Amino acid sequence: MSIVLDQLTKVYGGRRVVDRVSLEVGDGELFVLLGSSGSGKSTVLRLIAGLSRENSGTITLFGRDVTHLPAQERGVGFVFQNYSIFRHMTVAKNIEFGLRLRNIPSAERRKKSDELLELIGLGGLGGRFASQLSGGQQQRVALARALAYQPRVLLLDEPFGALDAKIRAQLRRTLREIQRALKVTAILVTHDQEEAFELADRIGVVERGRLLEVGTGEELYARPQTFFVATFLGAGTVLHGRCEEGRARFGTLTLPIPSDLPHEEGGPVRVLIRPEQVVLGEGAPERAPVLGRGTVVEQMFSGATRRLRIRLPEQAGLRQIFPVAPFGETGTLVEAIVPSDRTLPEEVDVALKGWRVLAQPQPRLLVTTPGTEWTEPVAFATRLTRDVGGTLAVLGLAPDGEDVEAARKEIREKLVENDAAAADVKVRAGSPTEQILAEISESFYDLYVSDGRLDGDRRQMASGSEVLERGRTPVLFARGVPRAVRSILICTAVGEPGRTDVRFGGWLAARLKARVLLLHVSRVDADSTPAWVNAHLERGVRTLHALGVQGDAQVRPARTPLEGILAEARTGNHDLVVIGRHSGPARSVRGKDDVTYQVLRSIDRSVLVVPADA
Amino acid sequence: MSAVAPRVPDSPARIARSRRRRESKAGLPVGILLLVLLPLLLMPLGAVFVFALRGGLPGFWRAVRAPEAQFALRFSLMIAFLTAGINAVLGTFAAYVLSKYRFRGERTLGIVVNLPVAIPTVVVGTSLLLLWGPIGLLGKWLDPLGLQPMFRPAGVLLAHLFVTFPYMLGTVKPLLDELETTYEEAAYTMGAGRWTTFRLVLLPALRGGLVTGALLTFAHSLGEFGATVMVSGNLRLRTQTAPLYIFAQFEAGDIAQANALAAVLAALSFLIFFFLFRYTARAKKAA
Amino acid sequence: MFRRHVLYARIRALAPLALMGGLLLYAVIPWLPISTSARPPRTIVLYGFSILGDALNKGVFPAFQKEWREKTGEHIELVSSFAGSGTVTNQILMGVPAQLALLSLELDAMKLADRGLVGPAAWHSLPHGGIVNRTPFIILVRPGNPKHIRDFRDLGAPGVEIVHPDPLTSGGANWAIVAEYGAGFREPGGGAAGGFEVLRGLWRNVVAQAASARAARTQFENGFGDALVTYEQEALYDLSRGKLKSEIVYPRRTILSEHTLVRIDHNITPSDKPLIDAFVRFLWTDAAQSAFLRYGFRSVDEERNGHFHLIEDPFRVSDFGGWKKAKAEIVDAVWKARVLKELGK
Repeated sequence: MSIVLDQLTKVYGGRRVVDRVSLEVGDGELFVLLGSSGSGKSTVLRLIAGLSRENSGTITLFGRDVTHLPAQERGVGFVFQNYSIFRHMTVAKNIEFGLRLRNIPSAERRKKSDELLELIGLGGLGGRFASQLSGGQQQRVALARALAYQPRVLLLDEPFGALDAKIRAQLRRTLREIQRALKVTAILVTHDQEEAFELADRIGVVERGRLLEVGTGEELYARPQTFFVATFLGAGTVLHGRCEEGRARFGTLTLPIPSDLPHEEGGPVRVLIRPEQVVLGEGAPERAPVLGRGTVVEQMFSGATRRLRIRLPEQAGLRQIFPVAPFGETGTLVEAIVPSDRTLPEEVDVALKGWRVLAQPQPRLLVTTPGTEWTEPVAFATRLTRDVGGTLAVLGLAPDGEDVEAARKEIREKLVENDAAAADVKVRAGSPTEQILAEISESFYDLYVSDGRLDGDRRQMASGSEVLERGRTPVLFARGVPRAVRSILICTAVGEPGRTDVRFGGWLAARLKARVLLLHVSRVDADSTPAWVNAHLERGVRTLHALGVQGDAQVRPARTPLEGILAEARTGNHDLVVIGRHSGPARSVRGKDDVTYQVLRSIDRSVLVVPADA
Repeated sequence: MSAVAPRVPDSPARIARSRRRRESKAGLPVGILLLVLLPLLLMPLGAVFVFALRGGLPGFWRAVRAPEAQFALRFSLMIAFLTAGINAVLGTFAAYVLSKYRFRGERTLGIVVNLPVAIPTVVVGTSLLLLWGPIGLLGKWLDPLGLQPMFRPAGVLLAHLFVTFPYMLGTVKPLLDELETTYEEAAYTMGAGRWTTFRLVLLPALRGGLVTGALLTFAHSLGEFGATVMVSGNLRLRTQTAPLYIFAQFEAGDIAQANALAAVLAALSFLIFFFLFRYTARAKKAA
Repeated sequence: MFRRHVLYARIRALAPLALMGGLLLYAVIPWLPISTSARPPRTIVLYGFSILGDALNKGVFPAFQKEWREKTGEHIELVSSFAGSGTVTNQILMGVPAQLALLSLELDAMKLADRGLVGPAAWHSLPHGGIVNRTPFIILVRPGNPKHIRDFRDLGAPGVEIVHPDPLTSGGANWAIVAEYGAGFREPGGGAAGGFEVLRGLWRNVVAQAASARAARTQFENGFGDALVTYEQEALYDLSRGKLKSEIVYPRRTILSEHTLVRIDHNITPSDKPLIDAFVRFLWTDAAQSAFLRYGFRSVDEERNGHFHLIEDPFRVSDFGGWKKAKAEIVDAVWKARVLKELGK
């Protein structure tokens, strides 16, 4: 192996800009690091070149551990985005610079630079200065300069980023030819997926300092594992559902889960559908799973094909998380592609001839903070995130006109101070409730941790109840910060809401390794528990066991459900109370007087409310 | 031909005429400028030469050849060369540190190093005396040890280094600020050490600033008076610089003596600035 | 043709380098080992007040240099700096390495004694109480004496413009004030009132104050003012060189200024002591006193002053009780406190 990186980590300002990156690049390979700006891909390159110092991890070049060598002794060639041709030297002198440092006689240097000038197509221009060359020509010179002393590793940092499209295409070809001809091992950093596909032997996708996936372009396109790679490369629709009885469930559609991507029962599951995998028409092809019947809402002609967007009505248990739906959209928008000459009726059946179930995502939690105080919800969310092994986003709500960057910086400092540097910081300005709802609809979250108050001061902070009323995300009302969540009380009713609360609460309990008590409150005057209640509880316990959770069921007689729940919460000393919530029309009919709200109002501990359509 | 002449595009003759008109218009502002400059700059300078040559060329020559005058001129040149040389190194180093490193108090330091241009030179001289002088804060302890820079050439050098420090910084730092860090990094990756990089990559890029800064430093040092008069002790044949000599001669009523050296200094300054302007003009054209 | 052009361009490019190289060479030549045949000669460091410059540099010192060489074979140099007496005193207080100081005012010597730089009244142990020469204060007027000035009192006439050195920095100015006051004081029936009157009249007409006697002189020479109160020596010295462009007016009554030598012992190394002692002694020898005479000073030996203009009523500062008293009672109490106040200056 030419280049071996092992657990390479670079911390900057309390954040891991390069996070445990391990990678092997073979001899003569052209490897492309692909990522958006700020992902840390360039830092990886600088670490390899020795221009930055890693905090931990090792770098091996051709079997030699160079981790502690200065840049000068690593013998790599480096091409910068801004060319950095030495202005006071001629082109030839620039190319000969590395050879001059190695005390190569001038005749030999001359020969080498002439050779390279021919190779990059600038023969005879050796006497020019950088100011007399175009950007593309300068970058060719930079390439020749980095290759002159025959380094075995060539590193290119967005080399074509500053050039226009046509010259970029030419230069890519030149680079590929030269790299092949000289058999030099190269790593190229870019944010341009087209460039990556065109040049790379293999691609590594980097996001937030992590090397997410490595593979050929085809592999990454067809079989991505992560949500980021799935959406970063190519187009498509990503749906979010839950894992039920070993299958991925998206509303009415269930799909098998590939054996190489183990999923937790009850946990979230995502599927990627590329536009070309969507089959449209009347009825569905045999054996093709059907997503539903929808209407064509958008058509875009693009030559041989037409890109379509099909809207499917809202379904419980199915959420679209990519592309981000317009605010207020509750249905699912699926991207499809058809030949241009095909006409379609307005309403079509949507079936799938292919799909890719993605690796199970980490739980994602959201918490908001007014200003930069270290509030109870933030502390609770931080603790919970750590315990469930998920990721946390802290949303700062800045009043209109306030300095967003300053707020971001302050929150970040606060997080670093409290040992929660891994969290994402987002800052939005505007009305708090609207901003939280916008955030929830733009990025997917498994759980929103709210202030414990039911009707918060809206100018300061959106109350959890608002999010609950208008969104589909489970809301945790934080009241106090437990050292650990060891015992969870799930108050289950019978029927629709009684399923999602058990599944979600159970999944959380599994992650937290907490005990669960399933509680059903029966009326005092009833002679005995009806059989269907027992059946429901039994199913619930079975579900819990399938999730690997230690769980029991209890029927507690009381005059009202509220009374029973309060009594159990008191005697059982549970750290968290989980309660379901009707969805759809039922919710609006009962308003804020149903059991859920009664419990929220009367109880003094943290409550997790799970909407039935979560 | 019709009565109304058709509008023709500007003929060469017309363009030439309009340019001529612009030239004739320039006469007035240029004239005013000259009128202002004449009593302000040109005539006083002319007077120096007139008085210097009053005793004829032989008299001028004799005045310049006087041992005190010779010493003062040589001493001034020597100090100017040393000042320019030392500040070229110190100033470039300061510019490098201020341009490439980010640290707490960077802005304050940036202001402090530029301060000497804003402080009256007499204050500079006094402050040096109060630090290094025999009764100064440090000098009080150093004097008994025989370390006494004041009233010696070293004192003059110190004062000149102080006063001219900002020049190098002012000409070199903008150039350094403009150079991307990748400029140096490119050299590092090719195998050049820090010093080699500085020598082969940074220094040539800074050449214009170095030359300009050094010449400005040199010229200022050659003419420095305020701080020098405080710290030199004004000893003829020992610490008397050319401007001090001129002042002493003038005070003593030897105007011809004073003007002879003044004329030499003025001519030198003129030559230096002439080269400086030609250099910067050429550098601008090349860029 | 083309070659010539290239050559010309090359010369143009090399010109600045040649200039700077030439200047450097010129500057360092005296310090190069080829020209310094031996180690630098021993020196005497002397700070003096302004008018003594030429007398010492060109007259007295060369004579001593010659004598010393004849006696010991050693070549010595004089390193000197001349400025107003007050300036010199302050420089010495700041620590310039002066070994000897020639001050215009004994008062300045006292200042050095007060700060412990020399012993109290140490100069009194020197011959003539440290006084090396004298010169009376006279009036210089424009050729033909257009304003008809005959005495200090005439300087108070309306329309006369006077250039005067500044008593803050100039020793000569202090002498002049005592001269002016004394002239009025010693008039028959003058007394303190007469002295005050002359001072007030004269100072009303002062249009420029220069930092030293020498500087005042330069201003006057450049055509400024109608009259200048200055040392007789200056006028005589210029006269001897044919440079005097004004006329001397001898007041009837005027002061003879006396110039004091001070040794600053802590700047004198033991090895230099014999040399300094010899030079100090030399200042009162015939050779030195003759040199002073040549430069227009009156000798401390009255018998040698016969050829000078006879002043009707010469007086000395001792007639007013010495410098300490004169400074307090005349310069401070009369001139500063009354005259300046009254004139609003």
